[in-house]
Amino acid sequence: MFNRKKFKFNRNKERQIDEEVLKPLYSNLEKNTEVLHFLYEDCSDVIFRSFVIADQIKAQLVYIKGMSNIEEIDSNVLTPLMQQTDQKSINPRLLIEQRVSVAEITKIESFDTCVEQLSVGNPILLLDGDQQGYALGLAKWEKRAIEEPSGELVVRGPREGFTESVEVNTSLLRRKIKSPQLKMKTLKVGSYTQTTIMITYIQDLSDETLIEEITQRIKRIDIDGILESGYIEELIQDNSYSPFPQVLVTERPDTAVSNLLEGRVVIVVDGTPFVLIAPTTFYSLFQSGEDYYHHFVISTATRWLRLIFLFISLLLPSLYVAVITYHQEMVPTKLLLTMVDSREAIPFPALVEALLMEITFEGLREAGLRLPKQVGAAVSIVGALVIGQAAVAAGLVSDPMVMVVALTGIASFTIPRYNIAIPFRLLRFPIMLLAGTFGFIGIMMGLLAIIIHLSTLRSFGVPYLSPLAPMKRRDMKDTLIRAPLWKLNTRPHLTGEYNKYRQSSNQKPFPEKESGEE
Amino acid sequence: MIEKGKISASQMSVMMYHAIIATGILFIPKTVFDAAQQDIWISPLWAFPLGLLSVYIAYKLHKLYPDDTIMQYSEHILGVFFGKVIGFILLLLLYTSISVMVWQYGEFVVSEFLPHTPKYVVIGMMILLCAFAVHGGLEVIGRLSEMVFPVFFLLFLVIVVLLLPDIEIKRMLPVMENGIMPSVKGSLALYTWFAQFGIIYFFLPYLTNREKGMKWGGISVLAVTITLVLTNIIVILVFGRVTGNFTAPLMSAARYISIAEFLSHLEAIVMAIWIAGTFIKICVFYYALVLGTAQWFNLSNYRSLVLPTGFLIGVFAIQAFLNSAEASEHFHEVSHGLTDTLVYGLIIPMFLLSIAYIRKMKIFKQKGREKK
Repeated sequence: MFNRKKFKFNRNKERQIDEEVLKPLYSNLEKNTEVLHFLYEDCSDVIFRSFVIADQIKAQLVYIKGMSNIEEIDSNVLTPLMQQTDQKSINPRLLIEQRVSVAEITKIESFDTCVEQLSVGNPILLLDGDQQGYALGLAKWEKRAIEEPSGELVVRGPREGFTESVEVNTSLLRRKIKSPQLKMKTLKVGSYTQTTIMITYIQDLSDETLIEEITQRIKRIDIDGILESGYIEELIQDNSYSPFPQVLVTERPDTAVSNLLEGRVVIVVDGTPFVLIAPTTFYSLFQSGEDYYHHFVISTATRWLRLIFLFISLLLPSLYVAVITYHQEMVPTKLLLTMVDSREAIPFPALVEALLMEITFEGLREAGLRLPKQVGAAVSIVGALVIGQAAVAAGLVSDPMVMVVALTGIASFTIPRYNIAIPFRLLRFPIMLLAGTFGFIGIMMGLLAIIIHLSTLRSFGVPYLSPLAPMKRRDMKDTLIRAPLWKLNTRPHLTGEYNKYRQSSNQKPFPEKESGEE
Repeated sequence: MIEKGKISASQMSVMMYHAIIATGILFIPKTVFDAAQQDIWISPLWAFPLGLLSVYIAYKLHKLYPDDTIMQYSEHILGVFFGKVIGFILLLLLYTSISVMVWQYGEFVVSEFLPHTPKYVVIGMMILLCAFAVHGGLEVIGRLSEMVFPVFFLLFLVIVVLLLPDIEIKRMLPVMENGIMPSVKGSLALYTWFAQFGIIYFFLPYLTNREKGMKWGGISVLAVTITLVLTNIIVILVFGRVTGNFTAPLMSAARYISIAEFLSHLEAIVMAIWIAGTFIKICVFYYALVLGTAQWFNLSNYRSLVLPTGFLIGVFAIQAFLNSAEASEHFHEVSHGLTDTLVYGLIIPMFLLSIAYIRKMKIFKQKGREKK
């Protein structure tokens, strides 16, 4: 009852604010100040500074503490404006043009733009007798410097990463793509946070309908706040029940740009270094930006290594359980004898043993992730005991099982993106259960179920498993292999019409024939 | 249209490859051996034209009614009542056909690999999995078969290569000892499999490139023939006269693979991948059945039929035969006569096509008369 009343009260106030905000500015300074005071009631961080321009016109400067550059306000706005003038009657608009030495001045006519400008840190200058206010581009707040992204490290490649500020992020993109065809559409989402969201694409490379679809999906979002791009991802993806990510997430500007050049759309969200890339396919989640910076043979080998380890991370414990429980004949005799020897003293069936160890391992990993660094060392010491000789000596698990768990752990670390590694970590457990009950047949059933699910997925109209299923022969050159750059002549086909050719053919380098030698 | 997804002609071809080969690769050698003896590898060549004929008839009918499946154009050709009757017969035949497939799968898995697991668990799991795929629609089945095909085919080639040390050429000699007839008789059993190509009449309307339907259908028949010839050659070269003693000679041959102490007893892996192929096979027929049933009832959506149909298939499959002895007797009897697949894959479409042509001729004659 009490809560409801409180809620109602808030709603009333909210409605009043909504009404006020939509009004245009008054010509009376007193009234304007009053409305702003009402809007920013109990906001001690909003500073109202009233002063007189050239001893004649009353003026009001409003800004938010910590979001505007105070030194510049002093030297470029207040000092010149408060200077005496010889003129009898002055034109305030002209005076501002003459004296205020600020690069970016936006004229404002209503309270909602007023609030908008204030909240990004731009101070607002209101004059008496003028129905127009000025937003001065003097926003300045603390932000993180551009650093190397800690989630996506590379050996060779640019060391810069996105930051929490949307302006910095878009400038990083613009610095790489100089063409004016790089377009950015701005949307505001979140009734309270009013988070800036930039839909970035290259004109003529991205499908118009795709951009339209993404814009529509983002516009449909009605939520109180957007704190991270994960919110957007969850609210725009095609199948929200699937554990598989249908949007690519990256911290690296070079990855974002290479995707822009392939005709995809990059969604930059204010307040997070993680930008979203749509549409994406299953295979692109296993590619690292570095694949294109190394020799193509090395990159192809690395891709295959990742693929193999992907299967190991998904299947190894299940295969072990299935072999130990049902298909002992597959193990070479000598190895089987050692395995039987080490398993003799273990009281659990292989399935229980595997589940026990895998859950322990996942627990350890989670513990290591969230703990402060000082305690982290303790976790690794304890971890070495739990998954190691001590566990074997205690008679809880067998030696081969420790090996299997360790190898699975390493395998799951080889997947370059965290968000695609998670579903495979999760799916390992049901497949282990299937392996423990039906052997290899159970594993096959589990795998088929996963493939069926992946076949049903689409990311913004692009089949998730393409270009392998449905097969697109032209796009295969950059999937399981990474063809040499001089062979990557066409862009991958996403949806609709596309700009097919990305470079001219026959660019394979060769030495000039020297006539003298023959 | 009831199915909104589209597949490419090559996807259909891969689907049909699985639909024929998955069980064929295991059971054909033994079935054919009874009649053809050491000439079993020739038999698929005789069955090849029949497969082509099935595809050709389905394609001709598709040309006449490009947007319809057989359930719809049977009504156009024969009128609503007789069309429904033919459709009903077709669906019943499909039911029995799938049930036999699922039974074969269940029986084989239980007898060879999971002797203590109840058969209904094995069958139920497979049907549930297929229901999941069929619910996804034609596109999903097409993509699945594309994913499974390379693995399946690679495994087949690997088995063939690994069996090479065990072969002896003299086991297939003398070629055509008793003339051409034994291999032709053997190919009669193959008609059961090759007639199943007729089922493409359910998929042709949903192709993105319809004009290539015939070409890719033909490629599929050719691929199946080549695979079967290869299978039969390798089986006869490894086992010779004792081939008839195995239910699934290729699987038994895989047991003999032993290279460097490490690559031995591969049958569990072979089995797992064979299951993937069988899964596609059952999916293809299951989907055809569900789509056909929905069209027979003039429903606007087939998805609500997926689980009930699956349940029926499961019950049919468990009840199909008492044991493998009864089944093999049944197959022996029917393999030299008119099988259910031959009826729905070849005879019904042929009948429909001839009626359609006769009616067309009549219409022409009438028009001719009117002109006079």
